[in-house]
Amino acid sequence: MKKKLVVLFLAICMTLSMAACGSKDGGSADGSGSGDNILRTAASFAYPSLDVHKEYYGWYTSIYGLSEALFKFDENAVAVDCLAEDAVADGTTWTITLKDGVCFSNGDPLTPDMVIKNIQRLAKVNERFAYMGDFDWKADGDNKIVVNTGKDVYPMLKNDLASPECGMIDLDATTDFDKDPICTGPFVITEFNPEGDVTVARNDKYWGGDVKLDGAVFYYMQEDDPKLMAMQSGEIDCYNSVSSGALEVYEKDPDKYHVESVAGTRLQYYILNENRLDDAVREAINLTVDKEAIADYLKGTVSAANSPYPDSTAYSKVSIPAVDTEKAKKLLEEDGYTLNSEGIYEKDGQPLKVNIAYYAARSLDTLAVLMQEQLKAVGIDSYLTVEEDPDSTYIATADFDIALYCMISDKCGDPQYFIDSTLADGAYYNVGGFESAECEEMIQQLRTEVDPDKRADLANKIIQIAIDDNAFGYVGLFNHTTVMKPGVSGFAEKIPFDFYGIDANTVK
Amino acid sequence: MKKQIAKRIAELIVILIVLSFLTFLLMYLAPGDPAEKRLSSQGVAVTKEVLQAEQERMGLLRPFMVRYGEWFGGILHGDWGVSFKDDMPVAPKLAAGLKNTTILALASLIISLIVSVPLGIASAVKKNSILDHIVRLLSFIGNALPNFLISVLLMYFLCIQLNLFPVVASGSVQGLCLPALSLAIPMAGRFTRQIRTETMEQLEQEYVTGLRTRGVREKDILIHNVFHNASGHIFTIVALQIGTLMGGSVVIETIFRWPGIGKLVMDSINARDYPTIMGFVLIMGTIYVVINFISDVLYHVLDPRV
Repeated sequence: MKKKLVVLFLAICMTLSMAACGSKDGGSADGSGSGDNILRTAASFAYPSLDVHKEYYGWYTSIYGLSEALFKFDENAVAVDCLAEDAVADGTTWTITLKDGVCFSNGDPLTPDMVIKNIQRLAKVNERFAYMGDFDWKADGDNKIVVNTGKDVYPMLKNDLASPECGMIDLDATTDFDKDPICTGPFVITEFNPEGDVTVARNDKYWGGDVKLDGAVFYYMQEDDPKLMAMQSGEIDCYNSVSSGALEVYEKDPDKYHVESVAGTRLQYYILNENRLDDAVREAINLTVDKEAIADYLKGTVSAANSPYPDSTAYSKVSIPAVDTEKAKKLLEEDGYTLNSEGIYEKDGQPLKVNIAYYAARSLDTLAVLMQEQLKAVGIDSYLTVEEDPDSTYIATADFDIALYCMISDKCGDPQYFIDSTLADGAYYNVGGFESAECEEMIQQLRTEVDPDKRADLANKIIQIAIDDNAFGYVGLFNHTTVMKPGVSGFAEKIPFDFYGIDANTVK
Repeated sequence: MKKQIAKRIAELIVILIVLSFLTFLLMYLAPGDPAEKRLSSQGVAVTKEVLQAEQERMGLLRPFMVRYGEWFGGILHGDWGVSFKDDMPVAPKLAAGLKNTTILALASLIISLIVSVPLGIASAVKKNSILDHIVRLLSFIGNALPNFLISVLLMYFLCIQLNLFPVVASGSVQGLCLPALSLAIPMAGRFTRQIRTETMEQLEQEYVTGLRTRGVREKDILIHNVFHNASGHIFTIVALQIGTLMGGSVVIETIFRWPGIGKLVMDSINARDYPTIMGFVLIMGTIYVVINFISDVLYHVLDPRV
């Protein structure tokens, strides 16, 4: 009897504790979701501050629908109007025209003076934008700002001003930049947990008209499996950066889940070391690496890259030779290589064995193994070297034959940043010995050319030179993949950049 | 006792100084630049000029000993410095992480002891019975399963299949249940086996045969003699486990969104956030020394012969 009572007591305790552990934070435990007009989503990153100008926090205030910049990017990565109507360049002078009626969530208008104060603060607190402090910013009337970029033309200003870090804050009224910045976005912060969950509510004074959602909750969830399960249980309505495993689950059930995928701006590529590999070997490697097969293997997380930039951009119009392993073999044989008994090419008794340096992030470990297999199939042997920090190891020392790397190739709807980072003379990531006087001349032109069409044309020619020189191999662009419940839309699912999320038109 | 405490405090100071210097040195020698990590955290490449300006602002271009001396001086004045990752003060971050990790550690420890003590003793008493075989098999499985698998399985069955818990939960009692259970299952497996072994050793002692011959009830022998004598060893095992638990569990904290110290430190290592890592090393060093000391004292109390 005593035993039975103890068992009964324990059973009651367990039931009560489970009931106590029932639902609170994350919607209902029965997985039925909620009928309100609040969008619930998962965020892979969380930061300790909402200060738009500092670090990359502006990316997240933009995703949360709190902050807006003067311009924003559309689906084709073109900077279009947002808080400002337009920005027109005339030599070293830019004239920016603000839209009428733009105001902060407290009702205060956005004035040219406030824009200038914001830019000056950004230049002061964010090293990546320090150059903006060197420009001369002047208010002109009620809605214009005149910017003089000094002795050099600065063609990227409009695109740079579309960066989410250039979001506008009411600097006079904001008292807590970390937790409650007053911005112009369609939502206002209601609860902010540093490096945790974020809750926003509709901005009733939004200058851009009606906001369709009542609010949104961003749960900080890094792992893929909990995100998948939260989606299955109905606790979240959508999220992006969907893993390949989860993608398979969602694609099997199109009635329950709607998946949108566009090639993003995060590029997987490799550098071929011209100081170690001769022309024929580099060309043979590029003719062998099958990026379509690699993209297939990575199951929807990556799109095969035809250039460093998404295909939707005007500066991605280059031609890349198709995979041709027979031609690759012929090239090697013409260069004096012969196949040995192990099926590996050798020259002067030395087998052709290349070193592939990589780091284990952004699927580069998988890419390294796949490339190794593909190269071996044509007779090029290789060995892998893994480093934890590429920038301070193989990128800094150029001690590699093939170096794998992943970076954002387009941060502001313009090709110059990637070209400056990887192809210009002395660039930090131009470590494979690529040199071209013609290319350098065009890079100089690109730095001062204002016309977007001519910039795209220059960029295409520059990238084509690098491709023809077999200096690099552009393998894949990570897809910006979003999964949504039926009825959810407007979650930046068609935009290639990572820094957009909810806006006034997001619906649930 | 006072002499012992003074000796341990002196040891602790020496350990912490050596530990902090070695950690600082290792981080200095390890590849990776906090400024570069910070500026490129989203995959955006930066120019050499921007990188150098950031390194200068963060004080990374100064000599090693100057940097260590400044950090050490700060610690002596109660200043733990600011994070290289986001310029936020290190002390509140560590305090919050430590608090959450302590809650999780205690909850999982209590669950695992509630399960493992009766099972371990019962398994030893009923040696080679069906119960013993089942307990041994379960403890083996629990011990062998990796944390991430246990976490995902618990989440799948309890959240998706049985709808007992929400997937998205954190911070409160409901957020504590699953991570505590995930930590407790392998721990209970280990404890059960160790308690079983220890209990069996005690049961084979001559004093147990003597007590039985004198007609003392089996239950009294188990509680008052066997378990009492075994408790010293069990306590040592538990104390060591507390030290490990206090280091946090990155996998469980990440899966269940539990903002503990394990994930904080892993993020700090990835970002080369040296001030946070140094703070963690100091805390963990202190915890290990203090727990060892408490364990020694209690061991002595439980078994005065030692």
